[in-house]
Amino acid sequence: MPIVAAAGRATHVQELGAGPAVVMIHGLLIGSLASWYFTAAPQLARGHRVRVYDLRGHGRSERAASGYDTRTLAGDLDAVTADLREPFDLVGHSWGGLVALRYAIEHPARVRRLAIVEAPLPPSSALQMASFLADDGQLPARLLDALPAPLREAVASGRRQAERLMKSLELLVLESSLLADVRNEPDLADAELARVGTPALLLYGDSSACAPGGERLARALPAARHVVLPGGHYLHLDARDALARELEEFLA
Amino acid sequence: MSVDREDILRTVERLVVEVAGDELLLAGPITMTTSFNADLELESIEFVALAEKLQQHYGAGVDFVGWISKKELDQIIALTVGELVEFIASCRS
Repeated sequence: MPIVAAAGRATHVQELGAGPAVVMIHGLLIGSLASWYFTAAPQLARGHRVRVYDLRGHGRSERAASGYDTRTLAGDLDAVTADLREPFDLVGHSWGGLVALRYAIEHPARVRRLAIVEAPLPPSSALQMASFLADDGQLPARLLDALPAPLREAVASGRRQAERLMKSLELLVLESSLLADVRNEPDLADAELARVGTPALLLYGDSSACAPGGERLARALPAARHVVLPGGHYLHLDARDALARELEEFLA
Repeated sequence: MSVDREDILRTVERLVVEVAGDELLLAGPITMTTSFNADLELESIEFVALAEKLQQHYGAGVDFVGWISKKELDQIIALTVGELVEFIASCRS
């Protein structure tokens, strides 16, 4: 099922493995379903039907000028999972974690368990994680130097990948409402978080600027376990195996 | 190289071109030592598309995802066409 229509929009979806369904959501800008496909998804696929998809405007999904707020993206998620009859598990990295949380708030009966990896709170602080953006929120001239290390190593080898990454970021940063959507995303109220009864696992990096977000969710969510792993914001790369193990155990 | 491996190599080359375009072959045909990342410069999302096409071509007997799950990230980044061809050949023998 590579490209499917979800809410009238061409969406790139991949599935791995068989078993109870787990849906994994990637982060904004430099994320794509490949973020999970080459990290925790293959491990989870040993016992689950793992569904990964490209958010609007990312990877091989249709370009989108707007709709990067968590409510719209949770609507996209609802369309991507419309065929799943049973409640499913959700795993989200960074902004994808906030989309998963938003979805659990809006559709509590649909979500079995919730794993949130490195989601920033307040949501607008997500732009601080995108350290490869210049202070004015634009693309810096030396973008490649500012990318997180594992990605930099992967693209630094030559021209083609760098050009394609730059083009994709230009569309998102300069020609979509993504940055404004992130800036305007309202914070979640503690009272709203207190009503999320879904069992949750919070996974954060010990050297990530997102750490306060994890601490706040751990206090506010009634059924959450908070685990800190060695690594930074891109924990699926920094602590690939440890993260996969934690997810496997939580979703067993 | 065995006939089988030569055949797999040409199939991989054809599917790489389907995924990423034939300008990838400007530097010459793909060989067993060609690296997906450093030489072909495939994006990770293109590599996913390649895996999907390989799966469609060779069927469930080639467990690409299971193979990837046993590799470290730096091994995936350094992956050569030859390693992929050998893996597919081993699934078919």
